[in-house]
Amino acid sequence: MSKVEKLKTLFPDLKIETDKANGPIVWIDNCKNLFSVLEKLKHEKEFLLNYLTDLTAYDNVDHHDGDKRFVLVYQLFSMETKTRVRFKILANADDHDQNKIITLVNHYPAANWMEREVYDMYGIIFYGHPDLRRILMDERFVGHPLRKEYDIKDRQPFPDNMKINLERRSVPLS
Amino acid sequence: MNQSEKINLSDFYNPNVLVNLGPSHPAMHGTLRVMCRINGETIEESKCEMGYLHRAIEKLGETKTYHQWMVYTDRLNYCSALNNNIAYAMTVEKLMDITITERCMWIRMICMELSRIIDHIICVAINALDMGALTVFWVLYRWREEAYTMIEAMCGMRLTTTYARIGGMSYDLPEGFEKMLEKFCDEFPRALEETEGLLSSNRIWIDRTKNIGRLSKEEAIRLSATGPVLRASGVDFDLRRDVPYYGYSDLNFDVVIGTHGDVYDRYLVRMEEMRQSVSLLRQCLKRLNKGPLWVDDKRVRIPEKMDVYTKMEVLIHHFKFFMDGIQVPEGECYNAVEGPNGELGFYIVSRGGPKAWRMRIKSPSFVHYQIMENTLKNEKIPDAVSILGSVNIIAGELDR
Repeated sequence: MSKVEKLKTLFPDLKIETDKANGPIVWIDNCKNLFSVLEKLKHEKEFLLNYLTDLTAYDNVDHHDGDKRFVLVYQLFSMETKTRVRFKILANADDHDQNKIITLVNHYPAANWMEREVYDMYGIIFYGHPDLRRILMDERFVGHPLRKEYDIKDRQPFPDNMKINLERRSVPLS
Repeated sequence: MNQSEKINLSDFYNPNVLVNLGPSHPAMHGTLRVMCRINGETIEESKCEMGYLHRAIEKLGETKTYHQWMVYTDRLNYCSALNNNIAYAMTVEKLMDITITERCMWIRMICMELSRIIDHIICVAINALDMGALTVFWVLYRWREEAYTMIEAMCGMRLTTTYARIGGMSYDLPEGFEKMLEKFCDEFPRALEETEGLLSSNRIWIDRTKNIGRLSKEEAIRLSATGPVLRASGVDFDLRRDVPYYGYSDLNFDVVIGTHGDVYDRYLVRMEEMRQSVSLLRQCLKRLNKGPLWVDDKRVRIPEKMDVYTKMEVLIHHFKFFMDGIQVPEGECYNAVEGPNGELGFYIVSRGGPKAWRMRIKSPSFVHYQIMENTLKNEKIPDAVSILGSVNIIAGELDR
């Protein structure tokens, strides 16, 4: 049985697709379900997903993949079974209640900086993240550069003598 | 001197001294910044900062055509540009369902192994240089020059190669390349022996590297370490063997693993990986056959220059090819190769057309820099420099 079919029997109510390289894509509706699915696949002997390869997002402003603004992409991998599974969640920048995007840091510590990058680039808030601040852009930067409405030529030069506004956050090493 | 001006001895034992390494510090490899709170010479807490070399490469991936973006892959890990070129071309080929020709495949594998050697040379040599062992730098960099001379012969460039094309390579191998490579394979291992003679049992080197920056096996997996850093921690995993791509499943090579996950083991892993790469280069050379370089696919085949100048239809095709770009069908794909530093992946979401909708680069340096922040705790300031050198963070790839 292929991995995709196996996933379909394990999770009959989830939408499962394949990508161009026949890798499985699992669509999940909210983070609580994601954690339970991840927990299950961590111990399922045909998957044993224990390694977070990548966590990213892409803009869904054309509503191609659903009615929400962004798609969060979790790439998981297993070193034992050599399986790659991609999980996707539709998300808005600041969802509430049960659709809230919750951080993965408690399950995979590597997610820490990856979530910071997604926050920096798209402005998606990860609830429960220990240190959610910009990572690549300057603290003074306005907007989120990988959103489709942000023009690539829209530059924001920062003179050195400008005062840095850390938004009431404590200075990292205070 | 009145009481308030008197210097109190306890002031000298202040556990809250902040030290700022970088962003412009010779040992910080360009544009990395590490902020440390130190007590004496021990780092009690550290925060890493990055983004000084951010050039919006992912955003450019969404605004340039697939073909135009090839040059930006050179600027990711600029120490092994060939590897990035090929990894990217591979991903787009997967998206378009193109299988490259056999000759092209072996050339690409030669390129990838050559760039792995270059990258490891840089890592080991700079790591040693940062700790004051200048001789290693001279011994190894000579071979880096030799390798770059070969690359220059291949594609006319040394650092930013842009050698791969979607569906083929920009040039075929130059005349006499096989001889050059054979000579390299014969003579380079001697430089490795020399380096090992200088370092492996050197008291100073061992003192500076053993048990420094330790990363346990479990931590390495939890923190998503990849490549030599992961293998030095004792995880037996290599994408070339475990998720084979191209011809790696036909070749013989050992996956090198360490036991302690410290700076010394990372050095040993890299040294042995260079030897394995030399053996892989030899095996690839043996299999290199005379055949077509380019895939016979009108969508991606760049017309021959001679035909462009002499035939009208080809000129039109050439014009359309470069002005409109390659039409990539809708879909998405993640493809990873075992780069010198670890898993280098490209995740492309295409909505059809000549430009990507999302171009994600999964770079090994990003996760390694995060790991560094965690391993710096309770290390000494000079050790921070050796740890940084050992995980081989390349700012171009880190900031993208």
